[in-house]
Amino acid sequence: MAAAVNTMDYSQLGSDLERQELEFGASPASPLLYCQLLAVYVLQNDLCNAKFLWKRIPLGIKQNCPELVLIWHVVQKMWLKDYAGTYEALQKEWSDDVKNIMLAVEDSVRARALRLVQLAYSNIHANEFATFVGMNVDKAVQAAADAGWQVDNITGILIPKPLDPPAAPPIMNEQHLSVLTQYVTYMEN
Amino acid sequence: MAAIVKKILAASLEPMQVDVVEENQNVEEEQHYVVENATIDLDHYASQYVGLARLNRLLFIAEHCNSLKIEALRMALNYTMKTTFNTSLYQIIHHKLVQATSGVRTGSNSSSNNLPDLAPVNSIDTQWVEVTSKKAALKLEKLDTDLKNYKSNSIKESIRRGHDDLGDHYLDCGDLSNALKCYSRARDYCTSPKHVVNMCLNVIKVSVYLQNWSHVQSYVNKAEATPDTSDSSKDANQTISSRLKCAAGLADLATRKYKSAAKYFLQVNFDLCEFPELLSPSNIATYGALCALATFDRKELQVNVISSSSFKQFLELEPQLRDIMSKFYESKYASCLTLLDELKDNLLLDMYVAPHVNTLYTQIRNRALCQYFSPYLSADMRKMAEAFNTTVGALEDELMQLILDGQIKARIDSHNKILYAKDADQRSTTFEKALIVGKEYQRRTKALILRSAVIKCQIHVRHLRVSESPKRRPTRRGNVHSTSQRQLYG
Amino acid sequence: MASSLEHYVNMVQTMSSTGNFTQLCDFINKSSDTLAKNASHLDNVYATLDIQQASLGVLGILCVKFSLSNMPDLETTLIQTTEFLAKCNGEHVRYATDNYAELCHKFAQAIIDRKMYARGIAPLVQAIQKIQIHPAQLTSIHSSLCQLCLLSKNLKPALVFLDIDITDISREGGRFDAKDYLLYYYYGGMIYLALKNYERALYCFEIVITTPSVAVSHIMMEAYKKFTLVSLILHGKIISLPKYTPQVLQRYIKPLCQAYMDLAAVYLQNNLADLRMTVTKHTDIFNRDNNMGLVKQCMTSLIKKNIQRLTKTFLTLSLADMANRVQLVSPKEAEKYVLHMIEDREIFATINQKDGMVRFHDNPENFNSPNMLLELDKEMQRCIQLDEKLRDMDRDIAINPQYVQKSSGSHDDDLPGTSGKIQAY
Repeated sequence: MAAAVNTMDYSQLGSDLERQELEFGASPASPLLYCQLLAVYVLQNDLCNAKFLWKRIPLGIKQNCPELVLIWHVVQKMWLKDYAGTYEALQKEWSDDVKNIMLAVEDSVRARALRLVQLAYSNIHANEFATFVGMNVDKAVQAAADAGWQVDNITGILIPKPLDPPAAPPIMNEQHLSVLTQYVTYMEN
Repeated sequence: MAAIVKKILAASLEPMQVDVVEENQNVEEEQHYVVENATIDLDHYASQYVGLARLNRLLFIAEHCNSLKIEALRMALNYTMKTTFNTSLYQIIHHKLVQATSGVRTGSNSSSNNLPDLAPVNSIDTQWVEVTSKKAALKLEKLDTDLKNYKSNSIKESIRRGHDDLGDHYLDCGDLSNALKCYSRARDYCTSPKHVVNMCLNVIKVSVYLQNWSHVQSYVNKAEATPDTSDSSKDANQTISSRLKCAAGLADLATRKYKSAAKYFLQVNFDLCEFPELLSPSNIATYGALCALATFDRKELQVNVISSSSFKQFLELEPQLRDIMSKFYESKYASCLTLLDELKDNLLLDMYVAPHVNTLYTQIRNRALCQYFSPYLSADMRKMAEAFNTTVGALEDELMQLILDGQIKARIDSHNKILYAKDADQRSTTFEKALIVGKEYQRRTKALILRSAVIKCQIHVRHLRVSESPKRRPTRRGNVHSTSQRQLYG
Repeated sequence: MASSLEHYVNMVQTMSSTGNFTQLCDFINKSSDTLAKNASHLDNVYATLDIQQASLGVLGILCVKFSLSNMPDLETTLIQTTEFLAKCNGEHVRYATDNYAELCHKFAQAIIDRKMYARGIAPLVQAIQKIQIHPAQLTSIHSSLCQLCLLSKNLKPALVFLDIDITDISREGGRFDAKDYLLYYYYGGMIYLALKNYERALYCFEIVITTPSVAVSHIMMEAYKKFTLVSLILHGKIISLPKYTPQVLQRYIKPLCQAYMDLAAVYLQNNLADLRMTVTKHTDIFNRDNNMGLVKQCMTSLIKKNIQRLTKTFLTLSLADMANRVQLVSPKEAEKYVLHMIEDREIFATINQKDGMVRFHDNPENFNSPNMLLELDKEMQRCIQLDEKLRDMDRDIAINPQYVQKSSGSHDDDLPGTSGKIQAY
């Protein structure tokens, strides 16, 4: 239903943009920089830094760059955890500069919402579920059924599948042994 | 009630006692309440006590029970006239009596004021007051002179007795602080353990009237530390020991140490229990039984109370309590609690247990709830509510509080109204704690390392020296604080 | 160029190349009057000297420029300072930490005065990194940086420094003052608050209020107010302070924060309506202190705390019941709170929408997974490292000659004829 989102490339972009912004010093940076940086923060779900970025963008740029305002709307909705509002705010024609980022945002929001529903609900109304994942009810129910969830079409109740436990990292035995030795040595001192 | 006694004392208070009075005032100055349905036979009740004990108790009842008010006040008045030199108390009681009867005369509201008769109150017997005051003064002078003579003759025993007599007289006059002084002074003239014990008992008695519980406890300890005399009989020793236990129990009850109070009361010997200056055997039964119910677990209850042959005799005096005990032990909680409720009104008229009735009852109820649930893995809350004369909703609230306090280890399934027993997983808790301790250690150590750097650098906030120029303190918005605040920046 | 200035340039270049830095610093300090008299030519001198090789000399010039009462061209000076901070030689300027810190301070102040906050961030970051002997050393420049970050609303650059635990403080020739220390941690706390890192914020405020102190400081008082509020949000009560907390806190500062003490007392009663009333009662004070946002977060945290108490007593509970017990408006609002708390891992529960119930679970963590093992390992390593640090510090003191002398001082007193040398045992 939702592709895994790889945010690694964008964090590098984010650091670069932050550095560039500082180089501008007291003068405003370019609208492009602000749009991209704001979008990266949204993708990283770093709403605090997004909020402060918006606060320090000069008024002139805000007024002349409508895309920036649109991205800010997404931040606002996410801050309030208003899923319906977030998806709606994301349904825009994005420029090429931010399009990939915003698409990734939509994917990650959907994936997070899905995980949350699986974690938090033992059963949930179909239309509520649809709100969480930003699809219309029928599509949502279909997707749920495809994922192996129980669907009761009469009452409109879905029963999510429980989450898979996180992958366990392999433990290397020699390394672990040396760590244990270290503990024992330490405690004997 | 104690407030009245204190007011009498107010004229001649030592500085130390002012604190004492205040401390007790906090404990007892709860909302004034009135009990309507008491079933006390005042004559029988009062006859169990002598001296100030009887007076205090009667006055307490008068304060808190309208139906018995006039009778109690009359009895108190007569007793005062007949047996004491306490003119100030006489006047106070008389005043109250007049107020009480005149209130009725003018047809006051409460219909529950079903007074048997409205015999007019005699006006204040000023003659008695005068005569008694003179008598008291004369006696005081005589005792004082006697004491001076004894002192000049340096006969220890007479001096000691002189102090005691003086103390007794002050007690009769209602001057408790001086009575205490005199009894305490006898200490220096005691020549045998028996004297010491006697002195302690006197001090204890007055301290109880003064409600100075720490005094009571310390003197009980003092008396118990005194070695037994070989010349007095075993019975006499036992009597004294019982008296001390009564006093200690009373002090613990008043200071909310219910479990230790119960233990003391249970140790009193029924045959040798005679302390009408303080309390009656049925009091011991009541106080002991209630405190035990509230604080003992089942085993302790069984061993120390129910199977105790000595305490059984006390319980015979209060058959209702005996029933309550056995019902509690047999887990018949509904009837047990109902019986307790029936007893409540009378208990609220007992000056020593009244302030603790609600606490004790709550503790007994909580204990019952815990015991009810203890054998079960899960219990139907509806049945439980029935067993405890309450609704499921109220029971849920009670249980919630008990769980939060840690008295029951359980969880409530509110959907199905079932209570499930729950054992904490020791292993998980240990891990959780370990992680928390680890983090706390890291936090503190980092703070300490920083602090050592601070001290090395000799950083500390001090007053600005005049030679330094005042620096502006920039805030987040770049505001500048006013000049007058500059002096405060270290 | 005047001869005195030439002389200056020569001395600087000579001593820099020979490495006589201490002498050079002396010379520069004594030359400040001369330089001040030739203020108009200072730019020339600046241009002549190489920043990398004659860092101390350039530093001297810039310091003088900032100290002039009517500085001709501030903009140039700012540009020069920025350039200097970027290029100067860290090893050289460590001989004049006081001047260096003074320069940075004046630089920051000038920028604040002209409201060009963001301009100072990058230079100060470089400044700190150049002068620090190691990353865990605190300088007075740290507080200026935090201040600029807050004013310019760009908080991330400060985190690089704030996230490191300080182990050492640079004296800066006596220039480092309690105020620099207090302000660094106070601003640090505010930055963490803005980024919602409450644990670190609480730690920073605690540091401020446990600073040794014999006088009342406004900074401490404001920090104490915030400390109270954050402590309520995180722990549901005011956590106890360490024993070395100064007396002035209890005696003078606490009584001045009555509104906050009231709030804390009401908070402990767990009743939301009462809390709201107390907040309304003291609204003016909270607004005046700019703490209203935190206070509102306190109210939210009380709701969460009450929900958590429910998890300790109930296995299942209807949303309507929960709304009643926690004093929320409707079951829907209760559901929202529960959902957010589940998302933030503050409780473990599942919502049953069909029946309108919530089911509470125990912490599903069984402490038997490899993940947990790694987590435990990490924590243990951190503790071990800290312990080793403490041992090192202890050892440093133990072999410090002054300490050895003092601790064995009684022996020396007994032997009048000793020369003060330490006896070998």
